[in-house]
Amino acid sequence: MRMNRTTLVVAVLAAAAVLYAAARFLDHSAQPAELTLQFHPFVGAEPLVPNEMRYANPGGEGSFEVRDFQLFLSNIRLAGDTGAYAEPDSYHLVRFDGPQATYLVTLHDVPRRDYKRIEFGIGVDPAANRSIQSRGDLDPNGRMAWTWDVGYKFVLLEGAFVRGGVRKPLVYHVGFDENYKRISTPFDAELLGTRDANLSFRVDLLKMFTGYATVDMAALSNVKFDRNDAALLARNYAEMISPM
Amino acid sequence: MRRLASAAASFAVVFGAITADGCHARRRGPTPLAGFSAPFVFGRFEVPADNPLTEESVELGRRLFYDRRLSGTDTVSCSTCHMQRLAFTDGRRTGIGVSGKPLAFNSMSLANLMWGAQRFFWNGRAATLEAQTLVPIQHPDEMAEDLQRLVAELSADDSYRALFAAAYGEISAGAISRALASFERTLISSNSRYDQFLRGEITLNAQEEWGRKLFTAHPDVKVSLRGGNCIDCHSQFLTSGFSTGLDGFSNNGLDDEELLQPGLQAVTGDPAHRGRFKAPTLRNIALTAPYMHDGRFATLEEVLLHYDRGIRNSSTLSPLIAEADNQSAGSQEGISLHLTEAEQGAIIAFLHTLTDEDFVTAERFSDPFVRK
Repeated sequence: MRMNRTTLVVAVLAAAAVLYAAARFLDHSAQPAELTLQFHPFVGAEPLVPNEMRYANPGGEGSFEVRDFQLFLSNIRLAGDTGAYAEPDSYHLVRFDGPQATYLVTLHDVPRRDYKRIEFGIGVDPAANRSIQSRGDLDPNGRMAWTWDVGYKFVLLEGAFVRGGVRKPLVYHVGFDENYKRISTPFDAELLGTRDANLSFRVDLLKMFTGYATVDMAALSNVKFDRNDAALLARNYAEMISPM
Repeated sequence: MRRLASAAASFAVVFGAITADGCHARRRGPTPLAGFSAPFVFGRFEVPADNPLTEESVELGRRLFYDRRLSGTDTVSCSTCHMQRLAFTDGRRTGIGVSGKPLAFNSMSLANLMWGAQRFFWNGRAATLEAQTLVPIQHPDEMAEDLQRLVAELSADDSYRALFAAAYGEISAGAISRALASFERTLISSNSRYDQFLRGEITLNAQEEWGRKLFTAHPDVKVSLRGGNCIDCHSQFLTSGFSTGLDGFSNNGLDDEELLQPGLQAVTGDPAHRGRFKAPTLRNIALTAPYMHDGRFATLEEVLLHYDRGIRNSSTLSPLIAEADNQSAGSQEGISLHLTEAEQGAIIAFLHTLTDEDFVTAERFSDPFVRK
């Protein structure tokens, strides 16, 4: 009798364990997910190779090289009819000069919902652009900061341009509130159910010079504080990031 | 300005991870450093988890910093080349240690080391402050000390035995480096007139304010903005180089291609890093002459002249320096900022607002062996 009772207890416990595991398994869909966004740098069809004079001036004669290319990617958001997820302190300094050419952003604790779109901004939203708080990668003492009066550079591209044997510097620093551009692309919510969920984007820096209007680097080799020039490049870079 | 005032109002005391978990659990462990703070506008900082700032480690580090026994000849201490009254520099073109031979580099100021580029030495060859501290001690021309010999020497001293026991539980090369790094992390300079201005306590005079505006502007003739271009390498509040990646290292046009020294390339091996050196903090810059990694400029006037019309072109020259010009482009005369003499004077006046008298006289940073 005693043995039987023990056996019964063991059996009940085992059954409970199985049920618990099954419940956990079924409940998986309720667990928050992790999603990695991968950003791959391109110059037109070619992957970006820094410090090489290999790219043709998109708007005229001559060729150019890229020494530094950095941009702020802000306020990543997943949106659907049944709810939205917004990454907290979502300010990422995207750059491609580390040991890996790809820049990764991993979103943690994403509730599994039927999201339809993924959205983010190129640049810094006006509220954060007017603040000197360090949030995410925002750093008022950083390379992307102008001054507390002006705010942040949203996109930085520095390099060199050669035409007819004459080399000159390229400096494109684009900021200002009006140039904060939101990007929104369709999102397949089933992705969140997969292991190592990740989503790849192409970041085509050539689009800064060809997206909406074509720019001749010989004529416009630097853009800093001129609002029209900055707006022109921003209208272009609004098309710079697209799903792969 | 309104934004700045509110930031100054929230001049928050920022506590880092200075109270490591283990400290309280251990009986009679070291005491977390009390009242340690830094200006809000300096931003985030990190103290290594395995070397928290404690009263004991900082006291020990201060003693070691000023102790000549750290050199093989017992004649040179860290403070020989890093004197408090000169904001921890030595006034020489390049340092001179036990061998009497001039060293390769100018002695760097030691201030606000937890911000800016987190690689140390002019060429960034030390990845941590802890690693940095042991290099001069062992260098044959600097302090020429053998670490084992030093540990034995300090172990024979009762007061050091007690200090090390309280701070780290042992006397070792590692404990020496951690104590020195801890003391150096407390060397915060944040009471210059510029700091007081940032806190909203004072206003700058007209010339200084003009200089501040020029300091923080990259010139753009298209919108009639004149600038001294300093901000492109020296951040607005810290006046140090940038902390991200290797952005705090620049080629600021000191030499032509043929004479370009390796700089950061000696550490990374990357030809794109040739001639790039650490952009230092400019706090107390009026006290830290001569200037540049090799001390080639004797005065701030010479430094301004260099940036205005002395830039040497090379393949790794900062594009921001090459491009910066306060006159319309078109001339091929070479690189020049085209600042007026008065503008250069204004920038120098602003640089003088970065002098922090408290920092260079504070008792807690001074030589503990001097009886007052």
